[in-house]
Formats: sequence, C-alpha cells, structure tokens
Amino acid sequence: MPDAVIHVIDDDDAVRDSLAFLLLAAGMVVRTHPSALAFLDNLPQSDAGCIVTDIRMPGMTGLELMERLHAMDNVMPVVVITGHADVPLALQAMKAGAVDFIEKPFGDAVILDTLRNALRENGKHRDREAERNILAERLASLSPRELQVLERLVAGQPNKAIAHELGISPRTVEVYRANVMNKMRANSLSELVRMTMTAHSDA
Amino acid sequence: MCREFRRYLPYLVAFGAMGVVMAIRAAIPDSYYHNSPFLLGLGAVVLTSIYGGALPGLLCAALALVIEVFRWAPAFGPEELFNGALFCPLAIAIACGGGWLRRSRARGTAAVEHLREREAHLQSILDTVPDAMVVIDERGVIQSFSKAAERMFLWTAGEAIGRNVSTLMPSPDREAHNSYLARYLETGEHRIIGKGREVLGRRKDGSIFPMELHVGETRSHRYYFTGIIRDLTARNEAEARLRELQSELTHVARFSAMGEMASTLAHELNQPLSAIANYLKGGILLLRSNEPDLPKTIDAIDKAADQALRAGQIIHRLREFVGRGEIDKRIESLSQLIDEAIALTLVGPKSAGVRIQRDLDPAFDAVFADRVQIQQVMLNLIRNSVDAMEHTPRQELAVSTRLTDDDFVLISFTDTGTGLRQEVSARLFQPFITTKPHGMGVGLSISREIIKGHGGRIWAENNPAGGATFHFTLPLATELEHA
Repeated sequence: MPDAVIHVIDDDDAVRDSLAFLLLAAGMVVRTHPSALAFLDNLPQSDAGCIVTDIRMPGMTGLELMERLHAMDNVMPVVVITGHADVPLALQAMKAGAVDFIEKPFGDAVILDTLRNALRENGKHRDREAERNILAERLASLSPRELQVLERLVAGQPNKAIAHELGISPRTVEVYRANVMNKMRANSLSELVRMTMTAHSDA
Repeated sequence: MCREFRRYLPYLVAFGAMGVVMAIRAAIPDSYYHNSPFLLGLGAVVLTSIYGGALPGLLCAALALVIEVFRWAPAFGPEELFNGALFCPLAIAIACGGGWLRRSRARGTAAVEHLREREAHLQSILDTVPDAMVVIDERGVIQSFSKAAERMFLWTAGEAIGRNVSTLMPSPDREAHNSYLARYLETGEHRIIGKGREVLGRRKDGSIFPMELHVGETRSHRYYFTGIIRDLTARNEAEARLRELQSELTHVARFSAMGEMASTLAHELNQPLSAIANYLKGGILLLRSNEPDLPKTIDAIDKAADQALRAGQIIHRLREFVGRGEIDKRIESLSQLIDEAIALTLVGPKSAGVRIQRDLDPAFDAVFADRVQIQQVMLNLIRNSVDAMEHTPRQELAVSTRLTDDDFVLISFTDTGTGLRQEVSARLFQPFITTKPHGMGVGLSISREIIKGHGGRIWAENNPAGGATFHFTLPLATELEHA
C-alpha cells in the first residue's frame, strides 16, 4: 500500500510532530494537520489511508469531523487518540464509527498495530470498491436484452423458460448468454452470480 | 373582728392607763403629790400616745383632766386652775409628739419591709438570669457569688466567697489579675470597666470556657467591682459550627476546583507525555533500522527532553493554583489569634476533657499575618490534636510561642494524642492524604500552603513522651517594620 497516507490531526504541535516522527520511523507515509478544519480544507483526493485524530480541538472536535466524513461518504478509517479518556467519550467515538480509541500516552506497538490494521481494512475496502466499480462498468456495457437475460439467469431460470418469457427462441437466449458471460468475463454461471451480487451490494 | 379590736386597742389602753392612775391615787394619800396632781396623768398620756398615737393620747389627757376636775372639785382654787391650764397644752404636745413618733416608726418599718422585699426580688432575679454575677472588693476577694455563677464555675457560693477572683481565670489572667486591679486603682484607667469583653473562664475542675464579661464599679468608702458573666460556650458552638461549615464549604469548593483542575491537568500532562513516548519510541525504531539516521534520532531525543520540561511546567502551575488565594496580611496579636482559635475549637463534647496550657511569650506577640488564614491553620491543628486525643487518657494540648534564630515566631501545638504513624508522617502535608474516616486530606496541605504564603514553615514531629507536636513559623511584625 505505497499510496496509503496516515493523516495525523492534533492541535498540540508536540503530539502531532512526535506521532508523525514515530510513524515515519515505522515506515509509514504521514501527513499532519493542525486542526480538523485544516484537514477538511485540504481534503485528500484519495481515500487510501487512515486518520488519527484528537478529540478535544478548537474549531471542530474529532467527533464532529467523523460525522462530516461520514456525510461525505469518506471511507477512511478513523482512530481516535485522547488525553482525556472516559467511558462515555469512548462509547461516543465508537458509535460515531471510530475503528479504535486510544488513550494518550500510548505505546508505539499499540498505535502502530492499530494503524496497520486500519490500513489493511482500508485496503480491503478499497479493493472491494474497485471490483464493484469494474463490475458496474461491465454491467453498463450490456445491452437491454442481455441485461434481461442476465437477470433471469441469476434468478436460476433455465434457457427455455427465459426464451418463453422473452418471446424469443432458446437458441437466441444461448447467444445472449454467451455474450453476457463474455462481457462480464465470467468463467462460469456461479461466478456470474457472485459478480452480480457484488455489483449490487452496498459498501 | 381582730382588726376592729386592734384598731380600738389604743383607746382601751387609754382607759386602762387612767384606771391604773385612779387606782394609784386611791391607794396613796393626796398629800404625797398635791403639788403636782397631773403628774400621774401626764405619765399615762406619754405611755398611751407612744403606744397608740395622738388620738388615744388626747383621750387619755381628757380623761385625766375630767377625773382631776371632778375628784377635787370642792377644793378647786387658783392652784388647781393653774395646774389644769399647764396640763392641757403639755398633754396635747405629748400626744402629738407620741403620734409623730408612732408614725415615723411605722414608716421606718414599712421602709425596711420594702427594702427587704426589693432585695428578695433582686435576689430572685439574680438567681434566675443565666448571667452570673460575681462581686469582688478592691483586693480581688470575692464578696458575692450568684447561683448562676455557681452553675457556671462549679464552685458553691460558700467556697467561692473569700477567695481571690483569679481562681476563676485561666493563665495568664490568673497570675496577672491582681496587677490589673492595682493598675486600675492607681491610674483609674478603664480597661474593662464599662465595656464588655470576651475572655476565658476556668471552672473548678480546671476546664476552660469562653465567656463575656461586663464589669461595673461601686465606690463608697471602698471599691467594689461587679462582674456580669455570660457563658459563651453555646454561642461559640454555633459560631464554630458556622465557621466549620464555611471552611468545609471553602474546602469543598477548593476540592471540586482542584478536581476539575486535576482533570484538566491530566489532559494537559498527557500531551507532553505522549509526545515524549512517541519521540523516544520513534528514535528506537530509527536506531534499530539497518542504517540508523543519527541526526534525526538526536533531534527526536532533544524534542522529548523539551516535552519533559513542559510537563514540569504544568505541574508547577498546579502548585501555584493550590497556593493561590487572597492574602490580607496585617499586624495581628498572636496571643489573641491563639485564644480565639482555642475558644472556637474547644467547644463540643469531643474537646470537653481537653486541658489547654498556654505558654506564650508576650515579647513576641505581634505577627504579620492574615487573620482568617492563620486561624484556619490553628483550627486545623487544634482540631487534629483533639481528634488524636479522643481516646487517650491524658488530654493535654500545650500551645507555646518563642522566637527563632531567624527572627520568626515559632508557634507549637503539643498534644498527648496517638502521635503520627511512620508511614503517614512522610506524606503528612500532601493533599488527599488522610487518616480520618471522613477526612478529605486537605486540611494540612492547605495549612502548608497558607504558611508558605506567609513566608513561614510548618512541620510536625512525634514527642518522646507520646503525642505529636506541630510547629509553624510566622514573621515577626516588628522585624518587618524595620526591614
């Protein structure tokens, strides 16, 4: 994941700088932001990576930032770090969608493991997203007739029934079916079914 | 019936007296007294008018006149006429004089009766009022000791009268009272007469209580001083409770402020601490890599050190916060501060058996201090001592002051309590350290901050004979003036 960036958001210069140093030393790509607003102003194009944010910050808190990102469909995982940990705050952070809640000061292993996990999740997520995008493109290349045949194939109907329903010959259905398999680059019917489900699934 | 009889008794006496006169005259020949035939009658008039007043006297005189005139009518000559004329004004004068005598005697009796009544009334008032009254003469010897005084001081009037009034006082008034009296008699300067003052009283059993004393003087051929004394224990109890509540409130307010501060500080302290951890852990990662980047690592360690200093500054700010508070320093009388603090704390059942010994150096009495804050410290120390002595057989608290080498006054509170346990004494003045079941552990830490704010020191030690002594120092006011 060479393009995955860790965004460190903390209003405390020392914490921000030192965390960036630690992550750099651990071989990660880091960008620092002095506030949540600064991060939003300079929002990265890519969803690759994750966010480490403090909660108590002037302007916008870490929790508010998570709400904003969620509303923007940003999928970067958020790790919350705080020097003021208590149970209600942790619950609030987890409900807002934080992948982890770490109390300052923390050991390097804790933060590094958490961030690596977050990056892995982010990577998987982005892989799924990429596959779905490809499948959606392939689906878009199908003609209306081919789409009708695909729907019925996935629903488990035999060729004859499809032919009868669409008012075409079983032979023609076979041609459409071959085209669909070809365009979707599916090797088998079962793979075609899985692809369709992936394409229609939500994030 | 009886009253009627008593009313007419003098008149009966008049008749009786004349009867006696007639009997005497019948028994004795006329020649014996023919020169003064009215002499016996005059005697009867004197006796009757002295006994019965003017009217019975006049009656007696009239009877005597009638008897003389009728009895010796045949021999009535100029001599008898002269005697009769002489008798009449004399008898009237005697009767009037007797009447006046009787009236004034009755008035005298009524006045005495009235006086006695008033005295009884006064006594009943004095016996009922809660204020005690003690009368002393110019030598300080007790002349009168009221019922309330008996209740207050536990001496009976019989025991107290004849003793010197200083028996009712604790030191140092006890030793100095005679000189107070002597000074007043010499200079006439009013120190306490006519003004009420709060002083300490001493009961027969040695216990000390706060009281309000008003003194009035009576001057006839000798001086008498009347002291009206009100026991302030109850009032001071209420005041002490109020003050306790106030100080508790201040503590709680400070406590919650400290709690809030502590929470903020925890957050603030976590920032440099996490930065330090990050720099050092990152530095280790760099050093462990195949080609360590030394300049970068050194830079990180340098930054970590800076963050450690930052953490230190945050802790310093906490200290300043705890020690904060308005200090209103004035020149105060140390003995007065101590006496008031004692009077405030020595109320309530816990301190009933505590004996106080004061050993205050009058030469170093003026200190430069915030009255409220220093009394807060004293209250804390005395209360701690009283608590520590709750279950010990000997309950003595000695307060002493003396000059230190560096021109401070050293104030020491020595008790006979349980003393300080080893593990506690090291952390005695730290906040939130307490040995009391309901203590918050702020009393001594705040005391230390107060004394520090005054430029003094506070410390504690165990006594060789048991119990603990708390010392603190305050700057002498005189030294400050010279400085």
